[in-house]
Amino acid sequence: MFSPDTRFLVVDDFATMRKIIKKVLAELGYTNVEEADDGQTALPKIKEAHKEGNPFGFVVSDWNMPGMTGIDLLRAVRADESLKATPFMLVTAESEQKNVVEAVQAGVNDYVVKPFNAATIKAKFEAIYNRLNKAA
Amino acid sequence: MSAAQKVENPLLDKNLVNAFVDGVKKTLSTMAMTESTPKKAFVERDFKAKGEVSGMIGMVAGNMRGTITISFEKPSIFKILENMLGEPYSEINEEVRDAVGELTNMIYGTAKTALNEMGYAFEMAIPTVITGSHEITSYHKGAALVIPFSMDDNLQFFIEITVE
Repeated sequence: MFSPDTRFLVVDDFATMRKIIKKVLAELGYTNVEEADDGQTALPKIKEAHKEGNPFGFVVSDWNMPGMTGIDLLRAVRADESLKATPFMLVTAESEQKNVVEAVQAGVNDYVVKPFNAATIKAKFEAIYNRLNKAA
Repeated sequence: MSAAQKVENPLLDKNLVNAFVDGVKKTLSTMAMTESTPKKAFVERDFKAKGEVSGMIGMVAGNMRGTITISFEKPSIFKILENMLGEPYSEINEEVRDAVGELTNMIYGTAKTALNEMGYAFEMAIPTVITGSHEITSYHKGAALVIPFSMDDNLQFFIEITVE
């Protein structure tokens, strides 16, 4: 499983959802968590953190946001050679098949549909971790 | 499914009403560990949001235009948010409004997904949050279907569905 020191970035335009995700992360033992309110503010943070040698070990992002959406943020991360290995999970109310396909094609590690609880998030993290380590 | 399912009279459409009832129950039990029970629905000629803070979403499905509103009295929303965020609330502030918007979003998203799997064509929409006592009488023509929900401690809230 991801180390308790893993540095998380939570991206959502709703302060409430950021708070909920932070609460869930804390329940799972992750307290090294920063926030951004859309893709436009998240991307420079992700780049900066990498430059400083303290990169984010996981990005949890909402899909629907003004400015820059979650899937555009994901594409920008995957397009950047130095950032492209960052584990990335999308959180969204959309669960139709077309969205899943779009997210997978863009390189998402997993996808959580709102509403969710801590157990769902934990299972997703474990699945992502296992897939990444099997691939390595 | 071939063609998008038509919404004839949404207030009488059991699929639609059930999808919203299930959306409310699932969202509150998953996100806020709060169980809620729907009570007998009734139709109201003049739409009046029932609580002190409401989240409203404009629904669009084919030619159908309507609204879904979820209205909370203060003690109900404070209890739900305390369960969801782990902090007590005692006034309707920006944080409470934001949370009501997010809850409304999740309820609509859950219902929309279930309905679209049945062949409807609901589109995603952005919620508006309204606070204070409010009446919206000119927004729609027709009637509103009101479904009261009960929670523990005799608390209650309402969903209201209107169609043009």
